[in-house]
Amino acid sequence: MINATILSYTTFVYFAAFLLYLLYMVMRKPLMGRLATYASLLGLIAQTVAIILRWIESYQLGFGHAPLSNLYESLIFFAWTIMLLYLIVEWRTRNKTLGAFVTPLAFLAMAYASFSPDINSHIQPLIPALKSNWLITHVITCFFGYAAFGLSFALSVMYLIKSLDKQGSKGLFIKLIPPQDILDDLNYQMIVIGFLMLTLGIITGSVWAHSAWGTYWSWDPKETWSLITWLIYASVIHSRMVRGWRGKKIAILSIIGFCCVLFTYFGVNYLAGLHSYAKS
Amino acid sequence: MNKSKTKNGVNPIWKFFSSVKLTIVILILLAIVCIIGTVVPQNEGAREFAKGLSPQTISIFTSLNLFDMYHALWFRIMIACMTLNLIVCSIDRFPATWKKFKLRPDPGRNRPFEDNPENQSFTTKGSLANAATHVGDLLHSRFKNTREKEEKGARYFYAEKGRFSHFGVYIVHLSVLLILSGALIGSFFGFEAYVNIVEGNQTDQVMLRKSMQPMNLDFTVRCDKFSVDFYDTGAPKEYRSVIGFIVDGKEVKKSNLLVNHPAEFMGVAFYQASYGTVPGKAVNLKISLEGSDKKPYSVIAEMGKEISLPEGKGSFQVADVRADIMRLGPAALISIKPKTGNLQDFWIFKNYEMAIKKMPAPMINSPKFNPSSFKPYTFSLQGIETKYYTGLQVNRDPGVNIVWAGCFFMIAGLFATFFMSHQRIWVRIERSARGTRISIAGTANKNPVGLEREIEKLLGHMKDIS
Repeated sequence: MINATILSYTTFVYFAAFLLYLLYMVMRKPLMGRLATYASLLGLIAQTVAIILRWIESYQLGFGHAPLSNLYESLIFFAWTIMLLYLIVEWRTRNKTLGAFVTPLAFLAMAYASFSPDINSHIQPLIPALKSNWLITHVITCFFGYAAFGLSFALSVMYLIKSLDKQGSKGLFIKLIPPQDILDDLNYQMIVIGFLMLTLGIITGSVWAHSAWGTYWSWDPKETWSLITWLIYASVIHSRMVRGWRGKKIAILSIIGFCCVLFTYFGVNYLAGLHSYAKS
Repeated sequence: MNKSKTKNGVNPIWKFFSSVKLTIVILILLAIVCIIGTVVPQNEGAREFAKGLSPQTISIFTSLNLFDMYHALWFRIMIACMTLNLIVCSIDRFPATWKKFKLRPDPGRNRPFEDNPENQSFTTKGSLANAATHVGDLLHSRFKNTREKEEKGARYFYAEKGRFSHFGVYIVHLSVLLILSGALIGSFFGFEAYVNIVEGNQTDQVMLRKSMQPMNLDFTVRCDKFSVDFYDTGAPKEYRSVIGFIVDGKEVKKSNLLVNHPAEFMGVAFYQASYGTVPGKAVNLKISLEGSDKKPYSVIAEMGKEISLPEGKGSFQVADVRADIMRLGPAALISIKPKTGNLQDFWIFKNYEMAIKKMPAPMINSPKFNPSSFKPYTFSLQGIETKYYTGLQVNRDPGVNIVWAGCFFMIAGLFATFFMSHQRIWVRIERSARGTRISIAGTANKNPVGLEREIEKLLGHMKDIS
């Protein structure tokens, strides 16, 4: 189980990255920022290796499936998509402040997966319903959607913090946060990516459900919650595209949307339904 | 809708449904209502949930249809309002979009160049004609639609792309309509049913899930074979049925059915949903003879088949087999036909010791439950052969392809809406004191960063070639 060991170390690497991003914002030393990026990159590479090792190991055990089949594996993948997407955004925008708000998400997901006593890190065989080519597409699209919404959540929090900056305060670490209109723009881009991915995730899930259970929609709690999330973000997009809402309203709606994402992911496990294998 | 615009202004109903505020309200209301539907268990789960509620609450819940919310009239009315809102909004805004789509601006306009940033112009030493050829070629290679014009010695170019992105939103809205109509068609003309077929058996009747009424199919389904594999952990690895479809007594098609691999026959889809066991018709018996030191006889007896008894004192058959009788466990009814005398029937139990303890006294003494009631034989039931049955989900959904078409259009439409923009570029080439001056201006309906990049690229290329 070398993969699980690497993954639990990755947790600490992401935590270190988080601290470095914070230090960078407080001390405003570019070196800290660079170190933070290196730590994130190191974590992402280690995690990628661990995921590949886990995939190979599942074949050696004779199960042979992509490491996307239970809560442990999905949490790991969630953290991976968040970090990947974040590093792309950092590279494109050349701003590191978002890191201090995003790395905690990845760190928490990893810590929950690695250290929660309720979560089984063993590689388990697939039940017949999960044996489908749709597994990979469905999980990847959903989690890239979740990750984009996670980034949008972090940007919204930054936006709200940045509004404290208005009173001409100086020396505060929030000075480094980009101007609000840039945050707002990036936030909207993340929402759009997340929405497209979530739509793809729901559609691939429907196609899969149709071939496994015979119906593409059965109002199972996880399905319904993903629809709720979709409806919330659809209203965000309408309010921005047509009504021209900007800034604080969008930030708050996006935070609500991410709460729905989290409930779709975790909360639904407390309600009975067809997605029961994602619980442990 | 001629009524939509009266002379006094806009029809109030039309106005109400053409509001995007209404859209946002409906979307959020639908989200809230769906939350209720996941907190209150629906259908099967409702019975258990209702036990913890007071009768008044239950009557309120049932009158609001909260236990089957997604099929309730009020929920459908909400969906209908959303649909109406979506249609009205789309129709209301379409003419403006069409105008933008059809708009062919004159290349020779100078207005786009007013307030144009200084860095979007530059001067070259080459001739105007030469620059114009190069710019024309460049624009042709990067844009599908280009037009040019010569006026007062200056050359003007106009190029655009992504005109169709204006329709992205309408494609998304159309896709929602397609998905909803596919769902509607499915609920009117389709059915959802299930059937359990014991290996080797056949049926032409399935059970409808909604009404719990049996329904006849136009053909017969036979389960030729069922098999299940397990992991070492005991969890099922894979189960499959070999299903034959029979029309007028003739097998027309044979299919291998696995989870995630359904089969279709005459528009009806069959899904491997579950499996289980039922007692078969054969039992494993041990017959011992009193006062004999011979080993007891072992025999597999099929129900209804006559078997002669050892030592030739008659014959017997298994008349009935039960997986459980009166909570005393598996049992078989043995019917003895002695050489002389009357038929004798008695039950034997698989777990005789346990059965004796639980039996009421009169039963213990009755010859009907005594495995040794036909001397000198003692029967014991070793086991009942079990048979697998395959649990099939049987559906017909004529709307499903419309739903898939809707899904496809939704993705295409979202892509066009979010990631494509209508870029329009104007280029003006004129003589200046120091040579030939080239200016670029542009507009886009969204994604200003993308437009900036496009202009930067064009500037770079133009500086290279002229």
